[in-house]
Amino acid sequence: MARVKVKSFSVIRDVLGSEVVEIEVNEPQTVRRLFDELVRRYGQAFKDKIWDPNTGQMAPFLIKLNESMISSTLDIDHQINNGDEIAIIFPIGGG
Amino acid sequence: MAKSFPYGGYIGQLLRVNLSKKGIMKEDLREDWARDFVGGVGLSARILYQEIPPKIDPLGPENKLVMMTGPVNGTMIPAASRSSICAKSPYTKSFFHSIFGGFLGPELKFAGYDGLIIEGRADKPVYIWIDDDTVEIRDASHLWGKDPFTAEDILRREIGDEEIHIATIGLAGEEKAPYAMILCDIRAAGRGGMGAVMGSKNLKAIVVRGTGGVTVPNMLRVYNTAIRINELFATTPAVQGLSGYGTPRNVAAMNEGGILPTRNWQTETFKGMKNITGEAMREQVVKGDRACFACSINCTKYSVVPNGPYKSIINGADYETIYAFGSICQVDDIRVLCKADELCDHYGIDLISTGVSIGWAMECYEKGIFRKKDTDGIDLHFGNADGMLAMIEKIGKREGLGELLARGTRDAAKIVGKDTGRFAIQNKGLEWPGHTCRPFPAAAVGYATGPRGGSHHDIRPTAEKSGLVDRKIIEGKGAVAAEINHWLILGDSMLICHLGEPIWGPLKISDSMINALNAVTGWELDYEGARKIAEREWNMIRCFSAREGFTREDDQLPARFMEEPVPEGPMQGSHIPKETLERLKDEYYTYRGWDLKTGNPTKQKLVELGLDFAVKDVC
Ligand code: SF4
Repeated sequence: MARVKVKSFSVIRDVLGSEVVEIEVNEPQTVRRLFDELVRRYGQAFKDKIWDPNTGQMAPFLIKLNESMISSTLDIDHQINNGDEIAIIFPIGGG
Repeated sequence: MAKSFPYGGYIGQLLRVNLSKKGIMKEDLREDWARDFVGGVGLSARILYQEIPPKIDPLGPENKLVMMTGPVNGTMIPAASRSSICAKSPYTKSFFHSIFGGFLGPELKFAGYDGLIIEGRADKPVYIWIDDDTVEIRDASHLWGKDPFTAEDILRREIGDEEIHIATIGLAGEEKAPYAMILCDIRAAGRGGMGAVMGSKNLKAIVVRGTGGVTVPNMLRVYNTAIRINELFATTPAVQGLSGYGTPRNVAAMNEGGILPTRNWQTETFKGMKNITGEAMREQVVKGDRACFACSINCTKYSVVPNGPYKSIINGADYETIYAFGSICQVDDIRVLCKADELCDHYGIDLISTGVSIGWAMECYEKGIFRKKDTDGIDLHFGNADGMLAMIEKIGKREGLGELLARGTRDAAKIVGKDTGRFAIQNKGLEWPGHTCRPFPAAAVGYATGPRGGSHHDIRPTAEKSGLVDRKIIEGKGAVAAEINHWLILGDSMLICHLGEPIWGPLKISDSMINALNAVTGWELDYEGARKIAEREWNMIRCFSAREGFTREDDQLPARFMEEPVPEGPMQGSHIPKETLERLKDEYYTYRGWDLKTGNPTKQKLVELGLDFAVKDVC
């Protein structure tokens, strides 16, 4: 089991209730599993902010994993480890 | 009244006002041009290509200012609130389109016009009053010298109608300052000096009242299309957050991702950003939300700093304000940024060019190139909020160093010399918005080849920022950039707001965009048909630039992005070396069917797109 810190901003932070939350991820310890766990814990309100109901997929966004950048579309099965720090860099468009 | 037009959404009539001759003419909109260029920017480019000769003085009476709507404006299609203002730019010296939201575009259609062409120059200050069929050129001597808000108040009282919609310039426009803007309702046509063109015509304001409507062929189809797009806006994750936090919803996330331009782009991480995020703004200054015509996103915030030295009331702040005055100048107080925004509106200057020019001056000060004797005694070190505000006033009044900075960083760096052009963050003369390209090759080639230069509305980095396409791969990015150009330009011709990006794009023209256009016009365009229109529009604008003498050599990036890798954070090391940019340009031109040597459209491409008339000018 991996214990990771998840950092978020804006509307996602509003749903998680705090800028940083700690999440335990069971095997397989992947990004996908982490987001499944977040959905289990925070329910539909979180899912609405991350999953696109029109495509049925997780929306595309960047994820900061420690000091490197990965993405929700290309790296969903990326391994995560105990003590990792993850930031959800989303939403990402701009005015 | 206009004769009936064969396509839905159009009025079928343009208004032409010649300020030199005091002439007012109503003319039919050409059906073939509507079909080939849709409206907005595409149609304006076609008109200006036809009507203004190359190499004219952008501030001379030969230049024309075209305010245009699109077929979807004034209908219930969500975010179809926008209008374009186009002219040859005194700032970038080529075709420029500045887009604004609010209500004025739909109102112009309700008054009975798809667009307004303004030509010549009045012999004294005037405003144009459009009241349905009645159009007048009125004296504006009493408005000259007034800031836009005061001028608007006077006009509302004078006309006796609170419902009028107004576009007006400030002092900077009157004085033809190169990056003067036009204020329009709750938004602005901010970029490219369109306010200076308006000022050069002695035109203080355009005032519109319309009581008509827009006809569509099948109301139920438009209604169902609008409902569907509203559902998408409400449920698509990347659009959520705009209602609550406005465009600054991204500030903290961008900083965490190492893509928040900071200290005149010396780095892309701002340690003091906590007090200038969307969240901080909401907590500290936002008093309400505002929306443009028919928009369910309502991203615009209404903010108040009630007292103290930064007392201000603004529509904003938008992300670009926070970038230009916050992270670029390293000022970490949202109240100061509200004041900066208000000052730019007061003088009528583009806040992106203003903030980035001050950031450049701060770097000159940091490097000892400017000393207090050069800055009128103002301490211009990064992070000095009061120094930054004082410099905005100087730019607005064109006093002291403000006179130099009002010319923009390209010209200022040429005058100052000492290699300061290396950190002038502009291309084609236009200062950059707050969206980096250093880690994003498609964005890089899009910015470099874009007709306006530093505009994030000729290209969007979103696809690479979100991982929709792999930012680490160079190959294929010319094509990615070209297809992003296409959805943007078709959107700017229909005149829908780019903030609906995930629905309208984000990688290519989407079904939603085509559905909206077909529902309103009654056309049955498929993807290829829509794409061909967009390609024609993009090539039309490129022909305008080519006819002005622009070539491949003008498709550059700011030197800093090619020479200085991001020094820290998760994007550390990212930059676009010159050789990479040249490779990307080759790819982009090849994909577009443009000549690799000149960067101009080829004869074959122009004929294919029905732009044969431009062959003699550019091939
Ligand atoms: S998203 Fe914002 S700027 Fe765009 S139309 Fe809506 S309110 Fe206006």
